[in-house]
Amino acid sequence: MADTHLDRDVLNALQEVMEGEYPTLLDTFLADSEQRLRQLRRAADAQQLIEAAHSFKGSCGNMGALRLAHLCGRLEYTAKDSSLADIEQLLIEIDSEFAIIRPLYEAERQRPLAQS
Amino acid sequence: MNATQPQASLTILIAEDSAADRLLLSSILRRAGHVVLTAANGVEAVAAFRQQQPHLVLMDAMMPVMDGFEAARQIKALAGETLVPIIFLTSLSESEALARCLEAGGDDFLAKPYNQIILAAKIKAMERLRRLQATVLQQRDQIARHHDYLLNEQRVAKAVFDKVAHSGCLNAAPNIRYLQSPYALFNGDLLLAAFTPSGDMHVLLGDFTGHGLPAAVGAMPLAEVFYGMTAKGYGLAETLREMNAKLKRILPVDMFCCAAVLCVSFHRRCVEVWNGGMPDGYLHRVASGERTQLVSRHLPLGVLSPEVFDDCTDVWPMALGDRVFLLSDGVIDTADAQDQLFGAQRLQQVFASNRQPDVLFAEIEQALRDFGGQARDDVSMVEISLLQSGLIHPASLVYSDSGQSCPLDWSVSFEFRAATLRRFNPLPYLLQLLQEVHGLRAQSGPLYSVLTELYANALEHGVLGLDSSLKRDASGFVRYYQQRKARLDTLDEGFIRVHLQVTPTDGGGRLVIRIEDSGEGFDVARVMRRPMDDIRLSGRGVSLIRQLGQNARWSDDGRSACVEFFWEEMA
Amino acid sequence: MSVVSQMSRDGRQLTISIKGRFDFAKHQEFREAYEHQDLESVVVDLKEATYLDSSALGMLLLLRDHAGGDDADIRVINSSMDVRKILAISNFDKLFDIT
Repeated sequence: MADTHLDRDVLNALQEVMEGEYPTLLDTFLADSEQRLRQLRRAADAQQLIEAAHSFKGSCGNMGALRLAHLCGRLEYTAKDSSLADIEQLLIEIDSEFAIIRPLYEAERQRPLAQS
Repeated sequence: MNATQPQASLTILIAEDSAADRLLLSSILRRAGHVVLTAANGVEAVAAFRQQQPHLVLMDAMMPVMDGFEAARQIKALAGETLVPIIFLTSLSESEALARCLEAGGDDFLAKPYNQIILAAKIKAMERLRRLQATVLQQRDQIARHHDYLLNEQRVAKAVFDKVAHSGCLNAAPNIRYLQSPYALFNGDLLLAAFTPSGDMHVLLGDFTGHGLPAAVGAMPLAEVFYGMTAKGYGLAETLREMNAKLKRILPVDMFCCAAVLCVSFHRRCVEVWNGGMPDGYLHRVASGERTQLVSRHLPLGVLSPEVFDDCTDVWPMALGDRVFLLSDGVIDTADAQDQLFGAQRLQQVFASNRQPDVLFAEIEQALRDFGGQARDDVSMVEISLLQSGLIHPASLVYSDSGQSCPLDWSVSFEFRAATLRRFNPLPYLLQLLQEVHGLRAQSGPLYSVLTELYANALEHGVLGLDSSLKRDASGFVRYYQQRKARLDTLDEGFIRVHLQVTPTDGGGRLVIRIEDSGEGFDVARVMRRPMDDIRLSGRGVSLIRQLGQNARWSDDGRSACVEFFWEEMA
Repeated sequence: MSVVSQMSRDGRQLTISIKGRFDFAKHQEFREAYEHQDLESVVVDLKEATYLDSSALGMLLLLRDHAGGDDADIRVINSSMDVRKILAISNFDKLFDIT
């Protein structure tokens, strides 16, 4: 569902694959994401914006952050034709979505390993 | 998630700019037992490939510094012949973007978010392809090596064969022209030519079944028989019998040699032909422009056992300048770009439109070139013309013994009776005997010619009673030889006596040859009245005997002929 | 199957039919068609044979050798014009009954 913040099934699968490395993966993703958010804000033209949004979308998808991935997708496809105001609006939404899921991922860090 | 069968551990390079994605993929792959290399952009990916030579590459399409497409191109170039599968990691959905992956040399793509099962399946499939390609290259190299060995074996075989063929006269005689590919031997094509002691020429154009060494291997024993017997003075029939028997004995049942064999006699102005399995040869008469086809009437050599082998030859008269053409089936089978065959008809056209016999051979060659385009390895062609006998100089045999122990004062007599006359040619033996006398060796040619002539007269005109005037024209010629065969086959009485006497003289020696037959004799005086250098189809070769030997004389009403040879002591 | 063989009901005549090119590629199949049989008389049917080369002639010689050599009873039937020409040049009609 496009409105799902974090897909539990994906997280479970990730945890199973990563095992002891799961927290590291979460940390890496969070650090990576902050960098990408900065990239989005610093994009000089539409093309750079599209590429950055595209990349971020991919990461989010892998990590189960469905709503965030969806937002990045919208930004990717509409950047060329949108006004600066609309782009700014999407960027704000992306920022706030990330603010929501960040603590959820941090909570995940504390989760003990699920029974196989 | 444990997948299906365990897979061999591969070294996989992950080129992905997102750290989290990189980490995720690495874990998935490590869990599957693979060794993982990582790169964060295209430049790092190419460098890592150069250093580590991974088996497989997972390449993100969008990367900073150098994107996945360019990195893929460079990696494929570095890999060369070896297959290094590249799987693009992409969330690109438009088909154009996917086409870019393939254009850049990508072998597959994996969509994000990553599905482990799909990833594992794709890796497995790519690995199968990679191994397949490696096998193909390995086998290709093996084949190339093997091919080189074969070429070398053939070089060796050809070198040996050339030594055997060395004693022939193919390149030495002015009246032979030939066309043969250097690879002919390995197509089973054989061309042999040699002089008999009397200056006649034996020619063989052959075609062994098969290709490569098996075809070449039969050629050597055949060539040895051909050259050996021809040099000793054996006739075509005996040589054919021996060649057939040899091949029958040594070759496997399904191998044989098609052959067209000729004896061209400059003295007797005729050609004797035996064709077993070769395409039609052509006897081209210059004066009338007529062409006689020399058709295959026999089974190839090596098929029939000696008891049933047919050594029957056809004899045709030849005038000065007439030519015989023999060809292998490569000529008729030469094809053009549309796979049309040159065919016998086109060949006949070339013959028909020729105006100058001397260029006929070149015209045929040209016609083939103009038609074919595709040069074949098995086109063999030979032209033998009848030239003035003086122009042909068979090389005399060279002996190395000192002559200290040669017989100088002796005589011997033979009587050959009907049963022997039917099946035995004593001439090679008699010549061999006379070669023991060193002083005679330099005259082997004339000696053999005279012996042959005397014996032929004694047999054909004497014992068989054939009328030499039959040979006056071409059709009479044919009838003559048919009668000869028929009468010889049924001969049950008669004889030929041969007396040889060698005595020393002051400063040298003398050989007296006397031949008697049991026939009716002939009008000696009338034949003697003919001018000496009158060469005709008919006649008893009396002129020849008188020219080559000394003191030729006939007695007992022509039933007894006598001729002498002299020599001087060599210093 | 490009070489088909069939024994007559009374077991006395073997018919071998060749489809397509009669050349070295058929070597093994052809031999297998007759090698384990007791041969009294053999018929080689070339109705569907498109081409014949010298290795086919060799194969016929092997068959003849197996079937009794000079005493063999072998007929080659339904030869096309081209096939017959090849057999004629090599005079194989002196060894086989060819129609």
